[in-house]
Amino acid sequence: MLHAVLPFVLCLVLFIIGLYAISVKKNLIKVIVGVIIIHNSVNLFLVLIGYRVPATGSAIAPIITPQMGRDAMDVRELLSHSVDPVPQALVLTSIVIGLAVVALMVVMALRLHQKYGTFDLTEISKLKG
Amino acid sequence: MSETLLILYGVICFMLVAALVAVETRDLLSSVLCLGAVGFGLAVVDLIVGAPDLALTQVVVEIFAVVLLIRTVVAREDTTREFIRDTPHVAAMGAMIMGILIGAYVCFQQLTPFGDPPMVMGASYMRAAEEAGATNLVTAVLLDFRAYDTLGEATVIFAAIMGCYALLRTRGRKEEHEGHDADS
Amino acid sequence: MAFLLPLSVIIPLGAAFLIPLAQLIRSKKGCPAGEVIALAATAALVVISLCGLATRRTVTTWIGGYEAKSELLGLTGTTLPHTSEGEADPARPRGVVIEQAVPGSAAAEAGLQEGDIITGWKLPSDKRFGPVWSMNELRRQNAALEPGSIMILQVERNGSTLEEAIKAGKSVAGIAMVGDGLTRLLLVIIGVVSFTAVLFSLSYMRTYTKLSLYYSPLMLMIAGMNGIVVSGDLFNIYVFLEVAAVSSYALVGFGVESEELEASFKYLVLSAVASAFILLGIGIVYSLRGTLNLAQIAEFTQFAKPNDAMWLALAFFVAGFGLKAAMVPFHAWLPDAHPSAPAPVSAMLSGLLIKASGVYVLARLVFNVMGVSTAVAYVLMTMGMLSMLVGVLLAVGQWDLKRLLAYHSISQMGYVVLALGVGVEVLAKQPASALGVPPVAALAIFAGLFHLLNHAMFKSLLFLCSGSVVHQTGTRNLKELGGLSQRMPLTCFFTRVASLSIAGVPPFNGFFSKLLIVIAVVWAGHWFLGGLTVLVSFLTLLSFIKVQRYVIQGELPAKFSRIKESPAPMLVAMGILAVMCIALGILLPLYGSGLLKPAADSLTQLAGYATSVFGG
Repeated sequence: MLHAVLPFVLCLVLFIIGLYAISVKKNLIKVIVGVIIIHNSVNLFLVLIGYRVPATGSAIAPIITPQMGRDAMDVRELLSHSVDPVPQALVLTSIVIGLAVVALMVVMALRLHQKYGTFDLTEISKLKG
Repeated sequence: MSETLLILYGVICFMLVAALVAVETRDLLSSVLCLGAVGFGLAVVDLIVGAPDLALTQVVVEIFAVVLLIRTVVAREDTTREFIRDTPHVAAMGAMIMGILIGAYVCFQQLTPFGDPPMVMGASYMRAAEEAGATNLVTAVLLDFRAYDTLGEATVIFAAIMGCYALLRTRGRKEEHEGHDADS
Repeated sequence: MAFLLPLSVIIPLGAAFLIPLAQLIRSKKGCPAGEVIALAATAALVVISLCGLATRRTVTTWIGGYEAKSELLGLTGTTLPHTSEGEADPARPRGVVIEQAVPGSAAAEAGLQEGDIITGWKLPSDKRFGPVWSMNELRRQNAALEPGSIMILQVERNGSTLEEAIKAGKSVAGIAMVGDGLTRLLLVIIGVVSFTAVLFSLSYMRTYTKLSLYYSPLMLMIAGMNGIVVSGDLFNIYVFLEVAAVSSYALVGFGVESEELEASFKYLVLSAVASAFILLGIGIVYSLRGTLNLAQIAEFTQFAKPNDAMWLALAFFVAGFGLKAAMVPFHAWLPDAHPSAPAPVSAMLSGLLIKASGVYVLARLVFNVMGVSTAVAYVLMTMGMLSMLVGVLLAVGQWDLKRLLAYHSISQMGYVVLALGVGVEVLAKQPASALGVPPVAALAIFAGLFHLLNHAMFKSLLFLCSGSVVHQTGTRNLKELGGLSQRMPLTCFFTRVASLSIAGVPPFNGFFSKLLIVIAVVWAGHWFLGGLTVLVSFLTLLSFIKVQRYVIQGELPAKFSRIKESPAPMLVAMGILAVMCIALGILLPLYGSGLLKPAADSLTQLAGYATSVFGG
């Protein structure tokens, strides 16, 4: 049953790499890199959750193509083979949210560099923590 | 073990390596570029698992993020030192990571196996989308059944734009005398 | 009353979009359009939330979907191992062994029993049976049928092959907005506190530049919190969590001084990690249950076996929402972020955001959706206890007024989480029977929610008072302040009211909720925790005596000899909250049964949440 869980565990490894960067690295850019890696790992996890092993060949996207016609029977056929559309919709939303967060982080990093003249978090520490 | 699965593992391992390099390299510019590699790896995974819309969005967003970050990297060298470099710390950290991974592996045994989702919501969306005459089910979900989420997503972007404008102001507070004038 | 739920999100959202537009249109020295819009929107929210109290039953509105009535397939089972090495093995039989057919569900009505093997399925119009590869295959096909149509299963029972007709499962659900007692309570709290915060901002924010960039994110934050509270969909909660969080990052850093930016960055990074944990948890839940609707997940929970992956999801949720609520192992960001924000924003963050995006969602998930258990109870109680103790110990040593208040936020939210944890424990040990909910659990949850309401009032008031002090004197260092009662009598009076409330001195509201919490904790048999609660309350009192001593009493420093009382809008805003602090305690018998009791009931009904959402 290794193949049933291995992809998910690999996602978690990616997540931990991101977490490691956030908790250990003392450079602003590295922290931002860590946050983006975490975003990517979560998106990867969600995409893999919706995956369906197809009967043959490569995965079938949840798109009704012209070849299939618009027959109800074909949609049932599609349903029994295609991947789940809901996680994909969720990931589309979460990718865009992630971009918004990254934009804010970048702006903050630039402002902090203006104020302190460095990306070193040990020097950016006016607050007591 | 099927061919698709092999390719999938390959790409995910590529992402892991790129992420490690991005975290560990001393050169910030290479770090950002490796981060781009992680994002493009994710786009390839999207293609493999049958999510073409996602792959397109991911590529666009990744390009945007990497360009933003390259603009941010004004000082290229990472001169900082981590506090964790001695053996006990590294050992403790390694033990913690292994613990989390083993725990997660055990828990995931009871997760729905990879490649067989229950899709209760997805299936009923599919039937409804077929009645409504949609062709792309992902966009049908995004713009019809879960359009309220998409409104929220647009709101997040709006909030981020407002936030960026607010944080990019050069002066946050008015000069001292201005402030007191406003009070009286 | 159903239209009130969407309105409570749309009004602040509309205001947020209107404010920058109004800023563009109006002439340079025109009327302050942004302020007027923001004030009107929050006033409307107060009115709406009070109107919502008129109804007692659970209101559900479906957005972008069909009116849905959930009906369970009601079947759990395991798939026979029909594959080897990932390839189908023709030698082995295919099918699903039924482990449980839930009484009253479609499966039980069809006559399916434990131990039956389902080997095929078809529609009544089909000629041949199709194979059943796995339990999930059956769930997928069942979910795709028209509601009410029939699916025929081929069943093997005791060696003989039967055909059983089963009604199709659930129909499409869009995104549900659910208004029950707890939602109404939170809407009232958000309405009142955000109204006073905006009122306070009218004068306080005059010293800052570019105010349309302040009011617009403020409205977005309110919209996000209202969106979280009224949402009945797991992913929708996440989206509005991000709306509230992203706008709060901007508000924390609004002063753009180096410390504020630093606090904002720290807050952003930890909050982004929290969001990632939450999204991972959502992914696991979706993968197991196949749906995001909270009520549908709750229906599954009623009969599902304990599942390791579900525990992992719960652990992720506890970590994620614990970070958002700044519970003690995850509290590092709060004492930086809350003091750095402008005072009205601090009041909103401490008074509302950690509740709406942390404690509320966690309580909703633990009680109504994921199911109560003693393990979760002990985690919650430990977190609550640690927060209570560590928060107050760190607060006692502080000399920065706003930082001190921020540490008290951690400590006071510890009370709430502790009380809820005790409620979970009692409910997990003796589930509700024909006799009703165990009275200890009902009391603990009631007390927890009462303290949540009170904390929103007195902590917002304290932050507004500190804002008033900072606004007039320009410092928040306790050592530099003193003797303000001579120059700012009203502010000092309000500070006293709030301090006595938070310290739990009788006739004020904090006393009653703390008393109820102590009674509930001791009644549940935790003498040690009860004693600790009283001790923490005593330490809180000490810490606020210090505030009295260094801010209100003592010598007035010479440099403050010419300061004046704060302008009227600030005083009115503080006055409203001060009246609340007194009234909420004394008038508890009047409003308790209308506001707090329904809120506690909506938590104690546990997975009955599903029935109330789908209308019985």
